[in-house]
Amino acid sequence: MKRYDLIVIGAGPAGLSAAIQGANSGMNVAVFDENAKPGGQLFKQIHKFFGSKEHQAKTRGFRIGQKLLADAEKAGVEVFLNSVVMGLYENKEIMVMQQDKVFHYKGDTILVATGARENMIPFEGWTLPGVMGAGAAQTMMNLHGVQPGSRVLMVGSGNVGLVVSYQLLQAGVQVAAIVDAAPRVGGYGVHASKLTRTGIPFYLSHTVVKAEGTDHVTGAVIAQVDEKFRPIPGTEKHFDVDTVCMAVGLSPMSQLLQMSGCETTDKGGTVPVVNSCGETTLSGIFAAGDVAGIEEASSAMITGRLAGAAAANKLGFLSDEDFVEVSAQMKNSLRQLHEGTFSPQNKGRTDLTLTDEGIALSDSLFKYGYLSDGEIGRYPGVTEKKVGIHPVIECTQNIPCNPCQDACRFGCITIGKSITNLPIVNGEAKCVGCGMCVASCSGQAIFLVDDDYGDGQATVTMPYEFLPYPEAGAKGVALGRDGKAVCEAEVVSCRVSPAMDHTALLTIKVPKEMSMKARFFSQEVTK
Amino acid sequence: MSIYMDRNDDIGAFLPKPDDNLIVCRCEEITKGEIRKAIHEGMRTMTEIRRFLRPGMGLCQGNTCGKIVKDILARELGTRPAVLEDCTARGPARPVEIEVFGNEAGK
Amino acid sequence: MRITNHPVLDEFPKGRQVRFTLDGNEMQGYEGEPIAAALRAAGIMVHRHTAKLDQPRGIFCAIGRCTDCVMIVDGKPNVRTCVTPLREGMKIQTQYGVRGKE
Repeated sequence: MKRYDLIVIGAGPAGLSAAIQGANSGMNVAVFDENAKPGGQLFKQIHKFFGSKEHQAKTRGFRIGQKLLADAEKAGVEVFLNSVVMGLYENKEIMVMQQDKVFHYKGDTILVATGARENMIPFEGWTLPGVMGAGAAQTMMNLHGVQPGSRVLMVGSGNVGLVVSYQLLQAGVQVAAIVDAAPRVGGYGVHASKLTRTGIPFYLSHTVVKAEGTDHVTGAVIAQVDEKFRPIPGTEKHFDVDTVCMAVGLSPMSQLLQMSGCETTDKGGTVPVVNSCGETTLSGIFAAGDVAGIEEASSAMITGRLAGAAAANKLGFLSDEDFVEVSAQMKNSLRQLHEGTFSPQNKGRTDLTLTDEGIALSDSLFKYGYLSDGEIGRYPGVTEKKVGIHPVIECTQNIPCNPCQDACRFGCITIGKSITNLPIVNGEAKCVGCGMCVASCSGQAIFLVDDDYGDGQATVTMPYEFLPYPEAGAKGVALGRDGKAVCEAEVVSCRVSPAMDHTALLTIKVPKEMSMKARFFSQEVTK
Repeated sequence: MSIYMDRNDDIGAFLPKPDDNLIVCRCEEITKGEIRKAIHEGMRTMTEIRRFLRPGMGLCQGNTCGKIVKDILARELGTRPAVLEDCTARGPARPVEIEVFGNEAGK
Repeated sequence: MRITNHPVLDEFPKGRQVRFTLDGNEMQGYEGEPIAAALRAAGIMVHRHTAKLDQPRGIFCAIGRCTDCVMIVDGKPNVRTCVTPLREGMKIQTQYGVRGKE
C-alpha cells in the first residue's frame, strides 16, 4: 500500500492550499479529486474577490485558481484526478476508485477538504428540467460556455444568488427576479445594488411555489410568505421563465469524516469538531474549507494552509517556530475576514442597525436591494465636494475589503487598519480621474462624478462588465440605483485597460442635477 | 449532537397535508407524505427512514434529499434538525459498480 | 445557446467539433466538453424519464453530485452526462427507468 506524508481529499481552494503548504515544508503530498479537473469550484468564480492584498482581493476567482495550480505544480504536489475517495478510516487509510479499480492509500496525516453541496428546497414542479442549482447554472455558463436557459428566476438573495444572477446577465441570460423568503437581502448590499440598478426586481418575503411545464419549465409562480414562511394564498405572481435557479445555502459534505469516526457537531449541517488548526478529534486527520463549516473560497484557502502547516508540524517537517509564524499569520488573515456586518457572529441577525462607525445601515438596501437617494449622503465614501472629478463610494456595510485604498495613488481613499472599515473619501486630495478605484472595487460600488463638465452637464463614470460596450456618442437613458430611468444620457467614453481586468469604465454625460442619481446606462429605451 | 428520541413519545397521528405528494427524494421518487407517514409509523431516525423507504439509497446517496428529509423529521418530532443524527455514513461514499468494487488493486 | 461573446471570459477552450447521436439523431458538439453541455447547447432539456412516475429530468447540479442527468451512453445506463466528456461517435440515449426506449 502506497504511503504519503499527507493525503489531501479534494483539490479545491482548501485542499490545494494545504497541499502546497505541506509540499513546501518537505512533505510527500498526494491530492485526490473525483473531478476531471482540479480547482474545485474556483474556476467558475469569475467575479473579483473581496479581502485585502493578502487575500488576493480584486483578483477574479478563476485567476486565483490558476495561480494555485501553478503553485501546486511548483511545490511538487501529486494530484490524482478522476479519483473518487469512497472511504476514509480511522487508521488514516483511504479507499479510492481510479478507473475501474479500487486502490488503498495510507497517509501519516490526512486532510479532508471535500467542500459543500448545494441545498435545495422542494416545491411543486421542482423535478422539471429547467429547475437547477445556482451552481449548476454557473458551471454551465462559466466553465462550459453554454447558457443554462434564456430567462431565469433566482431563488435566494445570499451572495451566491446575487453573484450568479449577475453572471447570468453577463452571459446574456435574462434574470426575471430574485426571490427570497427572508424579509431582507441576505448577501452583500453591493452585490444587490449592481443588480437592482440594471432593473432587476427583488421579491423579499416571497417564495417560489410552483414551476410550470410538462417536459421542462415554461413558467414559475411565486407567493408572499407570512412570518412562519408559509405562502399567503392570493399573493401569487407569475413569471415567464424557462429556468428556476436555487441558491438557498450550502451544506458541508462531511460523509467521509463521519465515516472515519471523528466527533461531529452541527453548524448548518454536520461538521467535524476541530481545533484551531483544523485537526479533528482523530489525531492526524484534519478538515479545512467548507467541509468544516460553510464560508467562502478566501477563508478556505487560509484554513487549508493552516491545516497543511499543522500537519507538517505534527510530523516534524515544519519547526515549531515556523509553524507559530505561519499559524499567527493565517489566523490574523482569517480574523480580518471574520469581522464586520456579515461576520459569523452576525449571521442570521436582523436587528443590526448601525455600521461599526455608528452610521445607520441602509434600510432600503436590505428591503429593496438599493440605497435610496436620501440615505446616500451619510456615508463617508460620499463627499459633498462639488469641484472637479472625484470618487463617490457607495460602500455602506462593513465588509472585509480594501483594494480601493491601494488603488488610489493620490491618497483620495482611506480605509485604515481594519479592512472592514467603510472607505472615506478625502475631499482635499486631488483626484485625477484615473478610475483605478472604480475597477478595483469588487463590489462595483465606486463611481467618478464630475459636476463641472460644462453646459450644466456632469459626467458619471461607472464600472461596466457587459457586452457590447456602448460607443462614444451613443445615446440612451441613465438608470437610477433602483433601475428606473432618471434622465437621458450620452456616452462620453468606454475605457478598457489590462490593469482593470475586464472592468470597463463607462463615462456618461447627464444633466448636473442627476450626477448623484444616474448609476447605470441603458441604450434600450425603457418603458 | 444526537439526543435520544424516545419512540414512545406521542407525536400525534399522521394528518395528511396538501403538499404530501411533493417528491423529496428525486432518485427513488419518495414523497413528503410517505416520509411523514413513516415517521408516524415509528421511523424516528434518519437511518430508519432510509432503510424503510430508501431516500438516500438511490444513485446520489442522499446528496440532495438528506437535508430535506432531516427537516421533515425534525418538524414531525417537534425538534430542530441540528439535534438529529445524519444517516450512518459508510463506504463506498459514491455509487460504484460491483464489478469495480470487487476489483482490488494496489495492495 | 452557446455563449460567443463574454465580457470577462475571453474564450471557452473547446476540443474539435465531433458528431454523436441522441436516440439515433445526428448531433454535434465539442470533444471533451460534458455531454450535458453539448445537449443543452442543442436545446435538449430532457435526459431521462424516471422509473416510478415516468417524469422528465434534466441537468440539476451539473457537477456530478445529484445524478439527475444520467443517460445511456454507448449502451451503459446511469452515466452522469454532466461530468462525462463527449467523444466522437458516442451513442447517447434518453434513459427510461434504467433502460432505453425499444
